[in-house]
Amino acid sequence: MNNIVSCEDLVITYQSSNGPVRALDGVDLTIAEGETLAIVGESGSGKSTLGMAMGRLLPSEAGREAGRLEVDGMPVFDMARDDLRRLRRDTLGFVFQNPMVALDPTMRIGRQMQRAMGRRARAEDIHALLERGELDDPERVANSFPHQLSGGMAQRVVVAMAIARSPRLLIADEPTASLDASIQDKVIGTLCRLRKESGASLVILSHDVHMIARHADRVAVMYGGRIVEQGTTARVLGAPVHPYTRALLKAAAGHEKPGEWLTPIPGTPPLLTGRCAACSFEPRCSVSRDICRSSRPKPRTVEEREVLCLLAGSEAERKEVAQ
Amino acid sequence: MFSIFGRIDRLSRFGFGLLVFLILLGLIGPYLPLGDPMRIGAGPRLSSPSWLFPFGTDELGRSFLPRVVDGIRATFLLSAVAVIITAIIGTLLGMVAGFFGGVADQVVARGADILFSFPAILAGLLIAAVMGPGQISAIAVISVATLPLFIRVVRSVTLGLASRGFIVAAQVAGASPWRVMIVHILPNIIGAVIVQLTYALSIGMIIESALSFLGLGGQAPYASLGSLLRQGSAYLTFAPWLVLSSGAVLSAAIMAVNLTGDAVRDALEPLKGRSLT
Amino acid sequence: MRDSAIPAPVVDLDRVVVTYGGGLFGRGGFQAVKAISLQIAPGQTVGLVGESGSGKTTLGRVCLGLQPLSSGTMRFCGEAFGALRQRRGQLSVVLQHPEWALNPRLRCGRSVEEPLVILGMPAKERRGRVAAMLENVGLDAGFAERFPGQLSGGQRQRVAIARALITEPRFIVFDEAVSALDVSVQAQVLNLIRELQDRHGFGALFISHDLAATRYISHRIAVMYQGEFVEVAEAARFYGTPEHPYSRKLMATIE
Repeated sequence: MNNIVSCEDLVITYQSSNGPVRALDGVDLTIAEGETLAIVGESGSGKSTLGMAMGRLLPSEAGREAGRLEVDGMPVFDMARDDLRRLRRDTLGFVFQNPMVALDPTMRIGRQMQRAMGRRARAEDIHALLERGELDDPERVANSFPHQLSGGMAQRVVVAMAIARSPRLLIADEPTASLDASIQDKVIGTLCRLRKESGASLVILSHDVHMIARHADRVAVMYGGRIVEQGTTARVLGAPVHPYTRALLKAAAGHEKPGEWLTPIPGTPPLLTGRCAACSFEPRCSVSRDICRSSRPKPRTVEEREVLCLLAGSEAERKEVAQ
Repeated sequence: MFSIFGRIDRLSRFGFGLLVFLILLGLIGPYLPLGDPMRIGAGPRLSSPSWLFPFGTDELGRSFLPRVVDGIRATFLLSAVAVIITAIIGTLLGMVAGFFGGVADQVVARGADILFSFPAILAGLLIAAVMGPGQISAIAVISVATLPLFIRVVRSVTLGLASRGFIVAAQVAGASPWRVMIVHILPNIIGAVIVQLTYALSIGMIIESALSFLGLGGQAPYASLGSLLRQGSAYLTFAPWLVLSSGAVLSAAIMAVNLTGDAVRDALEPLKGRSLT
Repeated sequence: MRDSAIPAPVVDLDRVVVTYGGGLFGRGGFQAVKAISLQIAPGQTVGLVGESGSGKTTLGRVCLGLQPLSSGTMRFCGEAFGALRQRRGQLSVVLQHPEWALNPRLRCGRSVEEPLVILGMPAKERRGRVAAMLENVGLDAGFAERFPGQLSGGQRQRVAIARALITEPRFIVFDEAVSALDVSVQAQVLNLIRELQDRHGFGALFISHDLAATRYISHRIAVMYQGEFVEVAEAARFYGTPEHPYSRKLMATIE
């Protein structure tokens, strides 16, 4: 299988008034053609930066410091403007958190769709595309302004626009976080169905582990600007080996039994100013050792997934977990 | 202060510098060795600019430069007094309208609309006719023209704030409406009021000058930039320096206020950028 | 899910109706809340779930005395509610957006002590109470001197909870109070609310679209749909199979 995205040791730093902030601290990731990958992480973990980097849609104060990122075989950070524009237009499709921000409030949906589809698109094409986004009554939707649609409908329009040019890679950043609980799942369902029909790859950036567990083939957990655990959804979320993944699942409401208490993760996530020379989760880790403070973990394969932890899989660590 | 200054561009900095220079000049002008603005026959009548009389002399032989400097002070002072009074009234009305809503809102918002649709010069003629020309009626005209600016902005910002968590929490805790307005709303709208203040100031200066030019503002010996312009216009063909000098200073003053206003707005609302209107 | 006994309710709603924007004679308006009855006992949390537009925020405003009723009655601790001014210190609220929970121009300490100022407590007494309450919500007393802009979302929500608890109110409304927080911070804040309720015994209404968080913190859950309760049941029910099809649809999102 070919890879639509391959990313090697990618480092991205934001220049802020308080000095540099390292958002990505060496990310290694590949996304295969036709797979659905979920990137899980809390705010500040770097997941949005990674998603935006795939289209080089980062703000001007962000810069690549090291590493390589290829999308569809093209080096995203070392290509001409025209090529980049073509990549964004023909290869990538984006779905953002808030559809009302993604849509132009002054333009009817039909006109915006036409812009996304190209000048030759006819009304029937627009309606057909809206129908593929599972919008009933596409004619009414095409004649509406964004504010006349519900949040769920607007997000479906955004999804339809994202697939207008049959992209090879769909990137959805918290696609349902602003939607009602009762329709979140349906919208994700639509997104996944369209991905399947087109054979594109889908990257979902989210912190909702329940949603990810239902829809993603593979999961990558981000912490401190690195991917600390990645593998198939069943392995990573079903039997996590990285202490952070385990802590995250324990902290999320939904899997506890009636009357049980949730276990929050103590401390706060790190704010990196440069390369992290140790394990970035060490200060909050319940099983850490001296070695975690002194050496930077390298990717290893433990129990059929890649993990960035010096202890994962070792005898001592297993004992701790059992306790 | 320094961080605000660091964010504004060169043009705005120039505007701010010009504004400070003009205000200082107006304030300390009488103590500078520029000559006596009131001395009739200081030189020949309507003489062209020279070393002795940089802006020339007027029809009574008075040196024009000290008269322009006095005019700067008069124009700024009258506009500033008018606009600050208006800002206080407008902020109060806008806050009440936005916070209480209902009938109070209807009355204030519609009142602002009516004032806004009334041409300032027409209002000026009307007020001058009723109150007689003078500084007080000039202040009244400026107030009428700029009051809607404050009411509209303050009302809409207050409306946006009213549903914020800290406002609702204070209400639920039993805070009186006045407490909510003074402790919670006022400190959060003051930035918007200041931005509006600078725009209102430039409008106020234009109105003051226009009224003085029409002879409806303060009467002689009071002399603002507008009345100097009026005075000079009678001799436009053979003593153009009177109109040119007072007109150039007036334009520079209004431009300085506007540039400073833009800078203040950019500094207070860095994310919004410049609007298209 | 938590156990509870049932003493006299803090909040007692009896067939409450709220209609928005009716004509002069009250016709043709939109009924946001349709004849809802609900009792919340002291020390008990009632969860209120439903999609946006279901009327749950309006119902929350009703319980806080912010929303005039079109018909029905609302009793507070067995008495008619009266005016908010008379209920000073007896109820409070924590709202959704951490960035707007606190007045950005006030130091956190000032925000936390405000309900006491409104009650007319002398300044000396207030200071001690603020420090103790900040500690209560897991924040150093030094936070009193900070401005909200210097705090993270979770810290701001803690300060908002400290403000809500400072007068030891009998009833608190949490309107999407944890929805904007990260998973691990959410757990901290949810646990904090549970602990503080065990200690202070306030009644609470927890409004959320997130069933997982709601059932974790609530004793009972009311599912709202188009202005009506379609199901009201013990929270334990929502760890199994709830009755109403709409509740089951919500359940599907957290499995």
